[in-house]
Amino acid sequence: MAANYWASTQRRHWLFTRERLADIRESFKERDKAAHNQFPLPDQRLLNIYFSQQLIKLGKRTSTRQQALATAQVYIKRFYTKNEIRQTNPYLVVTTAFYLACKMEECPQHIRFVVAEARNFWPEFIAPDVSKLGECEFALISEMHSQLIVHHPYRTLSELQPELSLTSDEVALAWSVINDHYLTDLPLMYPPHVIAVMAIIVAVVFKPSQTSFHGSAAPLAGAMRDGGMNILSALTEKNGGGPPPRIQKLVGWLAESEVDIKAVIECTQELVSLYEIWEQYSEKHCKELLGRMIKGKNLDK
Amino acid sequence: MDKAQQPSSFQQLEKLGEGTYATVFKGRNRQTGELVALKEIHLDSEEGTPSTAIREISLMKELKHESIVSLYDVIHTENKLMLVFEYMDKDLKKYMDTRGDRGQLDQATIKSFMHQLMKGIAFCHENRVLHRDLKPQNLLINKKGQLKLGDFGLARAFGIPVNTFSNEVVTLWYRAPDVLLGSRTYNTSIDIWSAGCIMAELYTGRPLFPGTTNEDQLQKIFRLMGTPSERSWPGISQLPEYKHNFHVYATQDLGLILPQIDPLGLDLLNRMLQLRPEMRISAHDALQHPWFHDLPQMQAQLQQQQQQQQQQMAGAYGGMVAPQQAY
Repeated sequence: MAANYWASTQRRHWLFTRERLADIRESFKERDKAAHNQFPLPDQRLLNIYFSQQLIKLGKRTSTRQQALATAQVYIKRFYTKNEIRQTNPYLVVTTAFYLACKMEECPQHIRFVVAEARNFWPEFIAPDVSKLGECEFALISEMHSQLIVHHPYRTLSELQPELSLTSDEVALAWSVINDHYLTDLPLMYPPHVIAVMAIIVAVVFKPSQTSFHGSAAPLAGAMRDGGMNILSALTEKNGGGPPPRIQKLVGWLAESEVDIKAVIECTQELVSLYEIWEQYSEKHCKELLGRMIKGKNLDK
Repeated sequence: MDKAQQPSSFQQLEKLGEGTYATVFKGRNRQTGELVALKEIHLDSEEGTPSTAIREISLMKELKHESIVSLYDVIHTENKLMLVFEYMDKDLKKYMDTRGDRGQLDQATIKSFMHQLMKGIAFCHENRVLHRDLKPQNLLINKKGQLKLGDFGLARAFGIPVNTFSNEVVTLWYRAPDVLLGSRTYNTSIDIWSAGCIMAELYTGRPLFPGTTNEDQLQKIFRLMGTPSERSWPGISQLPEYKHNFHVYATQDLGLILPQIDPLGLDLLNRMLQLRPEMRISAHDALQHPWFHDLPQMQAQLQQQQQQQQQQMAGAYGGMVAPQQAY
């Protein structure tokens, strides 16, 4: 959103290593083993897909900008690095993250409207009392230490479009790859420009026409793995007969830029595994497990 | 916030003023004895935490600069939010009233304040933040002669999109003509216009364009700067508030109403007060302007003056406090 990423609170306080994230989650589990056994939840990424779909529902009627939804997803992730999900009502957290993100991204919604929309979708989990949302907002701001400005990869993408002469199809595909990365831990692990570069590579290497995202992700995942190899080999042996000129140009740009190539490749792999696990996604299953947890632990009170 | 402070860590002293959405108190850190400004924000069940507060806090968390008031801490309690700011002695308005000769300030002080103001603005703009509400009441002065930008309640980040800004910002007197004409695609240049108005006020002690309504404000601007036309400002007639029957004024020489200003200062001021937003100088370029070249010498002079003043002050009133709104 604003300010300089390099000096930002996002860079200073909200970047984690993979190990650190694993430790945090393990420590939640250690603290309350019984709840973890009693209320199993789907893989984090499947839950993220579920949350993202709930956010889209909330934003639908007001056609909320994608950037606000992305900010809300980052808030949810940050919040759950500080709080064990089994001690929260995730529907309230999702609704509050949406409400707060809309304020931050200057598309504010009235508190009553947001509560009414949320009750419309999940009447059993959201109380009619709007002050609950206010309280939860307070908790969210607090847990995030009022560090609410989120830098997104979308801006880097639009800045690089002319420089790399990306076609509008490529930009659209890169945009949707960026949307997808919010379903992983990547926003907590890498700077936005690394994500943007990853999304551009994916878009340029895999022509938009040959893949339909989000339905049958497995072929794409396979193709991406091979493509990732292409890029890797192109980078290591620059004079190889290898990839087509379009990709070579991108590789040339990458080599000259100071972008961390290793990080970009790790992000690509993370995305590949997201598309692989997406196959297992079932909205119904997520809903059931969450519902059982909330009711079982009285978290909606 | 990072240290999980309690409200009780601060002794609450006298009220400094009512801000846009909060009450400001002077406070003292019980452990260190340091003075602070405590901005108390009340929470409204119909709005949650006010958007202005959220915007201000989150921006202040990112913007750390010597010409911007520091936010030390944010303390959450049951039903209120307390922001702990660096303590500043008074706002520029009060400073002019108490320090200047009928509000007019001396050359060295004006140059020093303008330089600090432009540094603060340049930093905001480099970080893609518009202040949007620059006015003497929002500029804070301390005993060291430092000037800092305060009250970021109306500030916003200018990412995408740029065409949906609200045009209900910036106190009328310091509001840029493009905003008054209803432009919603304004940018960093609106802060430069405000800075220009403030510069003139430092010389005269009076607001440059004290308009009462939107139209009156425009008229006061045109009477001095000349009425713009499609020729001088292509595209102006497309702006929502543009009227074909604006009274046509000729451009006046700003030097006539600011006899104290030197030619270089006048040149900079004219570059800031361009009607057409694209023509206004940027904060970055303003800092390079030759008018600031002799600042180091003048600052040495200023330091001497301040020492004298401080000695006098210490005798006259021991720590007088003026109400402040700028936090």
